[in-house]
Amino acid sequence: MFHGRECPHCKNMMPYVDKLEEEERIKLERLEVWHDEKNADLMRSYREILAPKCGGQLRTPTFFDPETNDVLCGEVEYEKLKEWAKK
Amino acid sequence: MKKYWRCFVCNDIHYGLNPPKVCPTCLAENAYVEICAAEAKRIIPDTETGFSKEKFLEAIETFTEKNEFRVNPDREKVMLLLDGVFNNEQNHSLKYCPCRLITKDFVEDLKLVCPCNFQIHETYKDKEDGECWCGLFIRR
Repeated sequence: MFHGRECPHCKNMMPYVDKLEEEERIKLERLEVWHDEKNADLMRSYREILAPKCGGQLRTPTFFDPETNDVLCGEVEYEKLKEWAKK
Repeated sequence: MKKYWRCFVCNDIHYGLNPPKVCPTCLAENAYVEICAAEAKRIIPDTETGFSKEKFLEAIETFTEKNEFRVNPDREKVMLLLDGVFNNEQNHSLKYCPCRLITKDFVEDLKLVCPCNFQIHETYKDKEDGECWCGLFIRR
């Protein structure tokens, strides 16, 4: 999960991520991108995969599975996040 | 390519592809002459060295007054976003949106400076409850 410290959508998604990890035993790596240049570079390295799913830009929050290239962009309901995570 | 232009009557500075037909400051017509960036920077008075969050909020509220959108009434959300905008200005030189990430292509990243041209975004365009991606601006 790519997120920003001062991004309200990311903040709203955090309880869902906690719930997902607890209920489904799925661990998501939380990578803050505005205050950590390494994480920012990592997100930028996936730009060609992420941007087409996010209005042509790099946006937060973005949920990304590098093994399957599945992308989920933005603030969504818990069920949608769960569906993405269990793909 | 955008250039700097100076009104020869009142020294108003304009940055754009073409000079304004009428100077918005002194109303003189056909008054602009092209100048270089260094001259423009010397002419612009250094009255504001930086905006506080409060001043920026005041500026965007004034900006929205005559528009079909307004600043989000959720003040807690707005203040979190402004923290991000100002942290980005301090750490990355411009008031970038805290809900997106710069690409390191300067021209491309100008699209991320707050307020951005969100009216073309899918989160706003043709939506009754449209808002910019971060939610700072919402349709009235």
